[in-house]
Amino acid sequence: MSLSLPRLRLSLLLGALCLAGCAPRRAESSRTTASVSPRSAADAPSLYDLTSRWKDHRGEEVSLSSLRGRPRAIAAIYTHCTATCPLALGEIKRIAAATDSSVGLVLVSLDPARDTPRALAMYASEHGLDPARWTLLAGSDADIRELAAALGIRYRRLDADAIAHANLITIVDANGVVVHQQTGFDGTADAIRIAQSLTH
Amino acid sequence: MRLAVLALSSMVSIPAGSYRPLYSTPDAPTIHVGAFRLDRTLVTRADFQRFVIAHPEWQRGKVKALFAEPAYLAGWKSPTVAGDVADLNRPVTSVSWFAARAYCAAQGKRLPTVDEWEYVAAASARRRDASADPEFRRHVLATVAARPRVPSSVGRSAPNAYGVQDVHDLVWEWTEDWNSVVVPDDSRSAGSSVDARDHHLYCASAALGARDPSDYPAFARFAVRASLTGRSTVNSVGFRCAA
Repeated sequence: MSLSLPRLRLSLLLGALCLAGCAPRRAESSRTTASVSPRSAADAPSLYDLTSRWKDHRGEEVSLSSLRGRPRAIAAIYTHCTATCPLALGEIKRIAAATDSSVGLVLVSLDPARDTPRALAMYASEHGLDPARWTLLAGSDADIRELAAALGIRYRRLDADAIAHANLITIVDANGVVVHQQTGFDGTADAIRIAQSLTH
Repeated sequence: MRLAVLALSSMVSIPAGSYRPLYSTPDAPTIHVGAFRLDRTLVTRADFQRFVIAHPEWQRGKVKALFAEPAYLAGWKSPTVAGDVADLNRPVTSVSWFAARAYCAAQGKRLPTVDEWEYVAAASARRRDASADPEFRRHVLATVAARPRVPSSVGRSAPNAYGVQDVHDLVWEWTEDWNSVVVPDDSRSAGSSVDARDHHLYCASAALGARDPSDYPAFARFAVRASLTGRSTVNSVGFRCAA
């Protein structure tokens, strides 16, 4: 995405700043079912180029590149969320149910203060997430911020109990290249179709 | 060691304090900002040239696609030559957030947070908190509108009350958590992705929830942040580091 200075300046002078603020928002909305055309592996942006270290819900230290090798559906959560996280979990569970075990599911916690590996393990157990397919990741503030940037997930802590964040489900191929992103809850059928196509 | 000392002297100590962010209500508590240090001015092309020579993985043509758009360091003469002598003291732009972050980390520093940056940006030449001063606001607006199309050399503007330069004069700046500007996808539909407490973060209601709807420069900064991705390489965005 590029911003042209003249456009910003114009909007600034007009006081019509919502133009600049809202344009990408509309673009994101319309991206609900947009797919990124796969590029060759060598020059495609791969999430697995991030070198951060995480703890999974087993308490084991993992790198993101350890997720390489099969397609994954990735979403951000925090386990104390009572607003829309259960909905988001429901959507990614639908993807899990509609695909075979060759598609992995990844939940990244946005709440390093409370989502310890132990808390994530309890969450996985409460929600019946099969440990063979699901990976729950706990990381540092800086590493979460970086992965969120790579995924295009915006989030902000509102208070001790709430973290506002985009409900974005990302499908990556076996090399960690984003092939599909779904915002909101109305594009899951496409996400399922694309996840299925990656396993063939 | 000598280099490290020089690097430190290029930073300004910012005392702890509090500020009221743009997206806030009159009864909301102010945000506390702890003491930190901030680069006196923007990272220059010369600075970044030294960095990419020492860290070839951040050179144009070598940087991983995840970390920068194709326009990364556009305008450089070559992957390791940032331009003519006249270009070297300009702020580095067309630099992604990932690259800016890596640069700061290589100096033993980090990017400032949005709160830290905004806290410093509220200072006029004389007062640390001039955020409610209409004259200062007009000055910032005029300064931003008068930015040169190609950013000119750093360090020529008058320092603000903290001694920090080029805050509003040349470019927008990366912050560590620029992507904390939450712009929900379907805020007005059923099954909204963010709960009601967050309505003030929506663009359409920004003028209602913002501390002061007439603070156009602050709106502009948030609009820019909302428009960026971590890979964005925009020629109007540079950065400075904090510690």
